Amino acid sequence: MPEISHGFLPCGIEYGVATLPRRHVVSFQIRVLAGAASEPIERLGLARLVEETLDKGTQRRSGQELSDAFDAIGAGRQSGTGRETMTFTCTTLPEHFELAVQLHAEMLRTPTFPDDAVRINVDLAGQELSALEDEPQALADKLMSPLVYGPVLGRHPLGERETLERLTRADLESFWRTYFHCGRMVVSVVGPVEAERAVGVFARHFGGFGGTTRNGRETRAVKFTSTRTHHHKDLEQEHITIGWPGVEATHKDFPVQQATLGILSGGMSGRLFTEVREKRGLVYWVSAWQETPRGAGMMFLGASTTPERCDQTFTALLREVDRLSEDLVQDELDRAVTGIVASQETRGDTTRSRCAELASDLFFFGRPVPSEEKVAKLQAVTIDDIRRYLAENPRDRLCVLTLGPRPLVDADAKVGSSGGGR
Amino acid sequence: MIQTASPYTLHTLANGLQIVIERMPDVRSAAAGFLVRTGARDETPELAGVSHFLEHMMFKGTGKRTWREITIDFDRMGSSYNAYTSEDRTIYYGWVRKADIARQMELLADMVCSTLPEEEFKTEKNVILEEIAMSKDNIEHVTFDFLQEKVFAGHPLAWPILGYEKTVGSLTRDRMRAYFQRCYAPDNMLLVVAGDVEPAEVIEVAEKLCGSWKPAGPQPKRVPPRIRGGVDVLPIDRFKQQVVALTFPSVGASDPRAETASAAATILGGENSRFFWNIVQKGLAPRAGAHHLEYTDCGVMLLFGACEPERVEPLVEAIRAEARRICRERVGQHEVDRVKNKRRTSLAIEGEAPYYRLTQLMDDMEYYGEPRTVEQMLAEVDAVSAETIAEYFAACPIDVEGHLTSVGPRGWPKE
Repeated sequence: MPEISHGFLPCGIEYGVATLPRRHVVSFQIRVLAGAASEPIERLGLARLVEETLDKGTQRRSGQELSDAFDAIGAGRQSGTGRETMTFTCTTLPEHFELAVQLHAEMLRTPTFPDDAVRINVDLAGQELSALEDEPQALADKLMSPLVYGPVLGRHPLGERETLERLTRADLESFWRTYFHCGRMVVSVVGPVEAERAVGVFARHFGGFGGTTRNGRETRAVKFTSTRTHHHKDLEQEHITIGWPGVEATHKDFPVQQATLGILSGGMSGRLFTEVREKRGLVYWVSAWQETPRGAGMMFLGASTTPERCDQTFTALLREVDRLSEDLVQDELDRAVTGIVASQETRGDTTRSRCAELASDLFFFGRPVPSEEKVAKLQAVTIDDIRRYLAENPRDRLCVLTLGPRPLVDADAKVGSSGGGR
Repeated sequence: MIQTASPYTLHTLANGLQIVIERMPDVRSAAAGFLVRTGARDETPELAGVSHFLEHMMFKGTGKRTWREITIDFDRMGSSYNAYTSEDRTIYYGWVRKADIARQMELLADMVCSTLPEEEFKTEKNVILEEIAMSKDNIEHVTFDFLQEKVFAGHPLAWPILGYEKTVGSLTRDRMRAYFQRCYAPDNMLLVVAGDVEPAEVIEVAEKLCGSWKPAGPQPKRVPPRIRGGVDVLPIDRFKQQVVALTFPSVGASDPRAETASAAATILGGENSRFFWNIVQKGLAPRAGAHHLEYTDCGVMLLFGACEPERVEPLVEAIRAEARRICRERVGQHEVDRVKNKRRTSLAIEGEAPYYRLTQLMDDMEYYGEPRTVEQMLAEVDAVSAETIAEYFAACPIDVEGHLTSVGPRGWPKE
């Protein structure tokens, strides 16, 4: 197993470094602990706009010059804005590691937020909101989030048209000044680089960047609404999403929830694929997934089908929600657990995946979690654990969203048509 | 330095099944996959969609396993598995822990000998009709299918991979079976295995599993299409965006200029490209890009963008301006170097994982007839220069009319 170092730099950055000597690339992620949930209510869309504009100019270079500098070392980079954090990830050949970090430091420490770039990115964000209307599943997610998470954690990173139009360069600069400092940064590095060197590189280029106080690690309240909502849209298919509260990533029952999810949708032998698609031919796409903001967990089922079959599909989905604790057999649980464990090993052969896993461990657990520990917890899950988990996390308060040409008309009576659950 | 080159082994069974193995001693996993040389371009118009339908049917039962047993056996290994169909191939793969590679090969070899069970055929038809319905809600999918239909009109590359409701709806099991028996034969297939494996053992297992398969003999010869120009518009009110695409005849994947064409597309419309800075960052459209779309024997340079409908004219004007500029002015050395540097990193990333090597080896065998090491691929990247790009555009110009596809609420430019 690789040696994983974890700690805090004097400047306040939390770091984790996994040294994998035989890899051919280095991946690193810089996570800033602020996201859409950190935005002022009248400035929705601000965090993503900051992320989009950070690389459009620094005190030393124009946006294009900065991009050219990254490309000169062939750095593959992405950035993203979520509910609670913003991430900047990069994969590069080992010999360019320090320069890649240095360029990130320049981008995050000395952005100029040029006026024209701000104006254009505000306009582009508005156009992206329009484009979202042509992506049914992404639109369904956007509509579902405020229902299951409430008004703060349920925000969409793109914001709203009205709030986007208010945003100015001063807003971006203010957000950056408030949230971009070492005390809010968590760094993960994976690849053929010694921990001491990796830590030294970050210390050299980020040392002295803002306050050292550790911030941004608080949890935010979730406000779940049990409801059934239809959003009319002229589509070929009806999109159905069902959500209910689960457990957070650090909860002792999280491995049990992972196994439950695997039973529902871990592979093609999972219950949803088998019952809704393979036996009945009702859908092409059906899935179950979880989301775990810090301090909360949410389970989802989703499917899309032609309107005339949506009631039947909805009933079939509900049946799977209801019968989760029935008929469970050991082989089904074993398959679910094996699927998760094997996937960690196969995907773990890529440096980028290992980096994403380490970053996730640091965010949720505040420490690297050895693979053996995760595997042992998963392999210890029993059928009784799943039954207990399902009893303690009942599916009697569902949030149901349909997006498409018509609402559900004869859906299972156990789901209330407004607000009350079943 | 990239040091990901791994030795590969080539072997052909007596029945014609080609086998390619790449040993990757530094990984903990292995991937196996069958490539069947059949896809949408091998179909007749009335059979449009049969290759893709067959891909679904391979999961539905064999002489040894029911559909349920096939999926259970994949999941018992914790395999990351799937299948997909393109215009010219159908691929089945599984990526597993290295200890499971023989089991994975056995399961894949069994599933491609499907019995095409009658009951499952009926149920799966509904699943595919749902897949077609889903694709119609995706404007990019709609645009791409429409573009292929018009640019390759009169040629099988014009059929959508999923087929049409009518052809899928009326397809009989007997007609599917005849197509299946002709195409799913060892002399029309390729087995690729990559990962921490022992080549001699892989060949031994493959011989045992596939050695008795009967060859089908020569397949109908594929003919390259004539690529059409013109303007085609598909007005659809319910979409919010207008998607436009300009296409120009280019070279196929087997052509030595293919790497240059891809690099040119990246300079025009990749990350940190001319389109990004001169179109997206000028606020004309949130999306604009270029892609070199290539098949073995033909290709097109595809320039595209999506925007709010009222902004489509300046978007297309800007795309055409960049197309003219890259044809008439030599690209800068820094632009070429930028693309090459990024390609080096992406090759190093792809060289890490058995599944990615598996797909690269399949491409190599189809396009070049032999596997390429990462070093060979890097050498081809290194050979790209401002001169080779200029020569490419002299032979395959994009400062001409080409073909314009427009899909969205406006009937532009025919309105």
